[in-house]
Amino acid sequence: MVFSDPFDSLKEDLSATFRPQREWAQRRGLLLISAHFLSGVGAGAWLFSTILALRVGLFLGLAIVLLGGIGHLAFLGRPERFWRIITRVQSSWVSRGLAGITVFSVFAVAYLVLSAFPGQAGPLQQGALTLSLVGAVWICVYKGFVWAVAKGIPFWNSPLLPAIFILYALRGGIAILFVSLLFTAQPADVGPLELTKLWIGVSSGALILLYLTVMPTTGITASRSVSELMGGALSLAFYLGVVFLGLVVPIAIGGLGYLTTLAPPALAVIGISSLVGDFYTIYCIARAGVYRPLIGEFPGRPTR
Amino acid sequence: MRYGMVIDLKRCIGCYGCQAVCKVENATPPGVFWARVMKREFGKYPNVRRVNLPLLCMHCREPECVKACPSGATVQREDGIVYVDETKCVGCRYCLMACPYGSRFFHAKERYYFEGYGATPFEEWGYRRHPTGVVSKCDFCRHRVDQGLEPACVANCMTKARHFGDLDDPQSEVSRLIRDRGGSQLYPELGTDPSVYYLP
Repeated sequence: MVFSDPFDSLKEDLSATFRPQREWAQRRGLLLISAHFLSGVGAGAWLFSTILALRVGLFLGLAIVLLGGIGHLAFLGRPERFWRIITRVQSSWVSRGLAGITVFSVFAVAYLVLSAFPGQAGPLQQGALTLSLVGAVWICVYKGFVWAVAKGIPFWNSPLLPAIFILYALRGGIAILFVSLLFTAQPADVGPLELTKLWIGVSSGALILLYLTVMPTTGITASRSVSELMGGALSLAFYLGVVFLGLVVPIAIGGLGYLTTLAPPALAVIGISSLVGDFYTIYCIARAGVYRPLIGEFPGRPTR
Repeated sequence: MRYGMVIDLKRCIGCYGCQAVCKVENATPPGVFWARVMKREFGKYPNVRRVNLPLLCMHCREPECVKACPSGATVQREDGIVYVDETKCVGCRYCLMACPYGSRFFHAKERYYFEGYGATPFEEWGYRRHPTGVVSKCDFCRHRVDQGLEPACVANCMTKARHFGDLDDPQSEVSRLIRDRGGSQLYPELGTDPSVYYLP
């Protein structure tokens, strides 16, 4: 149940066997989910735009990552102290993430500025591009680890989660490019992208299936989370958002690409549907997270 | 030196005295429970058992919250006490996700116990320690411990269910109780090595 005021849900939550995590999923938590989604998608768009030399994609990728960065800041309880986040890169994945976003943003802006002066800043431009790509890859990678190392939520403690987040960032990046093609059609570039998207879509589906199959075997808490997704309060968001919009629609339309060349509007449908699915994937993973039960059948020796 | 607490579950009667005295001692706002008691009933009549589980920060030897904190706001002292420096906390709430014991609370907005009447003088005094937008948690009453006193929940437990002392000293009361009565930690398999033990 979603309460309008966090205080109202607290009494219920604290006495629940499986206490839901709400801070990263509801109310202002939606800002964090959106920020994770946007930063991943933007970094993915930057990567593929670099490969395909799509200038619009580069601008879009950077803008989306910056938007994600703003989302991260807006989520903080004390945004004025945001600079402190970068002080613990040796141990905290959140610190490492901000470091990645900072490196990416600085060098992506530098690359775009330098590219406005063709032939005058060759090595500098290449250096900025290389560092921006390192930053973009890091953004795709770190997000999954932020969630996967959080010991409080067993549903997230899986090495599969970083892989899922990386695949979804790449998928989202391609989806952004598909949508952008509506405005700047470059049909020659679409072929390999379409196949890549299809492959990543199928891989993501397989990983999600594997994740949901493996997690219930890790303990009762993760099993409870999977139940919430597949047959509980989150099942509509899961089946409609993650499965149908995020996997079935993009894979089905993408599969048609084998038979015929897809027009930009069809690609845009794939892109939008995939993006909605990507958002719902992060949302569902976040919402399904519950804390370990602290009180079990035997006092002091709770069941897992 | 490593401070720790032993809670005797046979003695605990679930009176919520620890929860109340913690609030009085630390002036925590509504919705923030540094100490709390969970209750469960198991079985069916006539074979019913009621269990009270007092909870607080476990002050782990290997605290996940310290590793997770991106701003260095969560600190572990040499004596094992883990506390939050609210002047450094950015309110990202990652520690809430990292703590396996649900011992941390985010103080989202100022709220008073008597809604519609504003803050009492006690709340006005106490809330200076509890700014909004940051996370807080039990600090073993370090202001009392530094004066040689026990944490408030220990000193005020009416059934003497709580014991406080040095876990590194094999002759201390807490070490002896753990050894003699088979004290156990919550989720020891997570590798956090909590400093709070429960006696069955």
